[in-house]
Formats: sequence, C-alpha cells, structure tokens
Amino acid sequence: MKSILLLTASLLLVTQMASAAPLDDYRAQAKATDPSFSDFSAEKGKAFFLENHTGGKPETPSCTSCHTKDAKAVGQTRAGKAIEPMALSVSPTRYSDKDKLEKWFRRNCNSVLGRECSALEKGNFITFMQTQ
Amino acid sequence: MLKAVIFHETELLCGVKHLDHTPDITTKQSTLIWDLPLRLFHWAMVSVVFVAAVTGYFFEEWWLDIHAYAGYALGCLLIFRIIWGFIGSYYSRFQTFPLAKQGVIAHIKSLLSFKPKEYSGHNPIGAWMIVILLATLSLLVITGLVLYGGQEKHGPFAGLISFNIAEFSEEIHESLAGILMTAIAVHVAGVLFETVILKHALIQAMINGKKQGADNPKAPTIWHTIAGVTLFAGILLGGLYLATTPSQSTIPSVQNETYKRECSDCHPAYHPSLRLASDWTYIMKHLDDHYGEDATLNAEKNAEITVFLQNNDALSFDTEVAHKIGRISTPSMRMSDTRYWKKRHHEIDPASFKIAAVGSKVNCNACHQDADSGHFDDAKIKPPVGVKS
Repeated sequence: MKSILLLTASLLLVTQMASAAPLDDYRAQAKATDPSFSDFSAEKGKAFFLENHTGGKPETPSCTSCHTKDAKAVGQTRAGKAIEPMALSVSPTRYSDKDKLEKWFRRNCNSVLGRECSALEKGNFITFMQTQ
Repeated sequence: MLKAVIFHETELLCGVKHLDHTPDITTKQSTLIWDLPLRLFHWAMVSVVFVAAVTGYFFEEWWLDIHAYAGYALGCLLIFRIIWGFIGSYYSRFQTFPLAKQGVIAHIKSLLSFKPKEYSGHNPIGAWMIVILLATLSLLVITGLVLYGGQEKHGPFAGLISFNIAEFSEEIHESLAGILMTAIAVHVAGVLFETVILKHALIQAMINGKKQGADNPKAPTIWHTIAGVTLFAGILLGGLYLATTPSQSTIPSVQNETYKRECSDCHPAYHPSLRLASDWTYIMKHLDDHYGEDATLNAEKNAEITVFLQNNDALSFDTEVAHKIGRISTPSMRMSDTRYWKKRHHEIDPASFKIAAVGSKVNCNACHQDADSGHFDDAKIKPPVGVKS
C-alpha cells in the first residue's frame, strides 16, 4: 500500500514537472525581458484568449475562431478536424512538449496576431488554461 | 378463353415445328417445352437485371458493391445459359433457334395475317430477341468488369486495365445499358402482345414449362434438371470465389510518418496522388500563408515532406481520383474547385459541409472512409448522419 502511494506520488510529481517545464522557461524569458515581472496571470491569459486581435489573417481574428470560447470544449480546424480542448483538466498533456508548443504558438500567433507572441503572453495563456 | 388448337406438323425451313390454329378441342394437350433450369435461369435473370438496372441508374455511387454483385451473378447466369444452349433440353439449344431469314419472314407474314402461327419453342422474332438480349448482357458484364478493374481497381481485371481504357469502357457500358433497356421493353411488349392479343400463354409457359398444343420431339427429363442445377451450382461457386477474393491492390501504399504527423492536425493527410508535384512544391514553399493560416514547418521536416509528396504525386497513380482531381490544377489551389469534384458533389446540400461531423469541403475522410489510402472507392462512401443530398 505504501509503495503504491509512493509510486502514485512520484508519478504525479513527474507529470507535474513535465507540464511545468515549458512554463518555467517562459517565466525565465519574461523575467529576462522585464526585471519587474513577478508572475503570470490567468486573468490576462483569459482576456488574451477571448480577445479579437488585429494584424493577423482575416480568417482567424481570435483564438476562439477555432478553439471556441469554452476552453473545455472540442474545437474545430477550418478544414474540419476536431481540436482537443485547450483546458489542462481535459487535455493533461497539452502543454508538456516544448517543441510542439512552440510550433503551435509560432503558427497560431502569426495567424491570429500577425506576429510572434511574447513569453509573457504565452505564459499567461498556459496559466489560464491550467485553471480550466 | 384459350383457343383450341390442332397442329399439323409443318417443318419450317429452320427445322422448327409450328402450329396452325384450327378449332378442335380433342387434340389439345399440354407439352413440356422449357426445362426447369431454363425457367429458373429466366426468372433469376429478371431479378438480377432488375437489381443491376436500379442500382446502376438510380442509386448513389456507394451502392456500387450491390451493382457489382448483380454483375457477377449476371455473369454466372450467362455462362450457364451459353453452356445450356449446347447441352440443355431440345428447345433450350441454340441449334433449335429459328433464326433463318425465311423463318423470320414467314413469322412476320403470319403476324400480319389474321391467323398467326403459334410456335412450339421460340418463335423467330423471339429467338432473335434472345440472341440480342444475351449478347447485350454479355457485353455489359465484360465492359462492367473492365470498368470495375480500371476505375475502381477491383475485380478480376484490377491491375490489368488502365484508367483510360476503363473510361472508354464506361461509355460503352452506358450505351449498352440503354440498348438493354430498349431490348427488354421490346421483349416485354412482344410477350404481352402474344399473351393478350394472340392469346398464346407465353408467360405461363415460362412458369410451368408447358405449352398447350405444342410439340416437343425430345421432352425435358429429370436428368436435365439435375444436370442444369449441378452445372449452375458449379458456375456459381466459381463466381462466388471470384467475387469474394480480395483483388490484389494495384495502388501502392505510400506513407511518410513525418507528413502524417505534421499535416494531419488541421486536415486529413491527403494522399499524395491528389496533387501534381509542381502543386505540392508550391504549397510546401508557401506554408506561411496556407489557405489563410500559418502552417510553417522547420526546414528539415519541410524538405522531407516535399520530397515524399513530389515522389508520389498524381502522375504516379492510375486511380480515378488521381486522373480527375490530382492531375488538374486550379488557380485557387483547391481540390474542391476542380470540375470533377464539383460534379461529384453538386447534389450535396452546401450546409451539409458545415455540420460538425464534416466541418469543411476538404475533410474528405468525413464521407470517404478510404481517403487516406487514395482509393476513393465508390463503395467506401458513407456520409455521416446529417449530410443531405
């Protein structure tokens, strides 16, 4: 019984670490850019997620164009494929693969905002999704 | 009331006896003309041709399986009938068919007179009708198999017939279907004319095999039934084997894990045969504005995927979709703007592409279950609930 508990605890720790790693990177980057940075804000992440941005491609003015306004809902690509929900509670492995994360931030920020996103924006976004 | 007939056997030039109408009830008798296998053949043919015609003319593409099975059944029946034409009972044999010109002329003259002759077996026009029907049906089965092999890459000719030959065969198949429909109409009209106007019980004869007042020099026996059923069972087993043996796929299976992983997040990983190499090159060079989205990849992955797509483009495949969509470039670079795509989807309600189960016109897999393999078989189309046409 003890060993099972220990195993579960360590497993939880490992997954926690894995999902926390990219966020830590963004935190370090945000700190480097702005020394007054204290921590990410889920509130700002939420506003960023729901906002109608300008500067991107006309087909995709907002994150919600594809992901829907409900972070726990299944989204749909413009070509028709389903997108796993963004909320960490529904898609636990979503924010653990740094390469994948960077690829999609690069593509989607460019499509929606017409530019790269800052470490601050990415961190806020993930922090918001962690609360969902 | 059936007319009472007496027959004084008159040998026609073609060797078939015919009857003259003379009222004399005493000599009227029922003679077995059509052996049981022939009658079973006839009515089996009616049902199979009905299925083939209905699925061919009226049903959606995805009924092609049923149409093809009807075609196989038709093939079996025709092989049986042709063999039976040599070994069947007297009136089933082709050599007893009154096909000679003089016989036909005599028949027409008798029809024009007020006392038409009644023939024991086939009458001359009827015999020609059978020849035309059997020939048309045989050609339909052959052109159908060629078409099935070349266009769908199925059946015994899969891999032997090119797409272009299949296209040509399709034209002939469709024309033959028109000829068959006409021939069937004439056949049915002729039978109705004889039955209703001349009061010859032709339909009844094709059911119980007997004709009143007819003459049969060699009446069918139980041995004909046994031989016929055995022969047909043998042919059917062969046909079933052919119809159920999965045809050797002639479409090489191509796969690239990087392509599949990187490109199938937003849309299906389209089979490379859906585009020409030049179009793939263009698409891969302009991923920064990929139909209105940034879909950029790192240089290494981009190069790998580009080579894979170029090497397996539409010119490398002989499928219908590679010919009709893959090899056609549109200014918009959209498959759904090719004439063929529009033609094949024009009956679908535009709103159906927006339902959740479909999402867009380019989500081929929503209905085409085998889209990933590049086959796009008609029989593999399964529209999800909510698609209206």
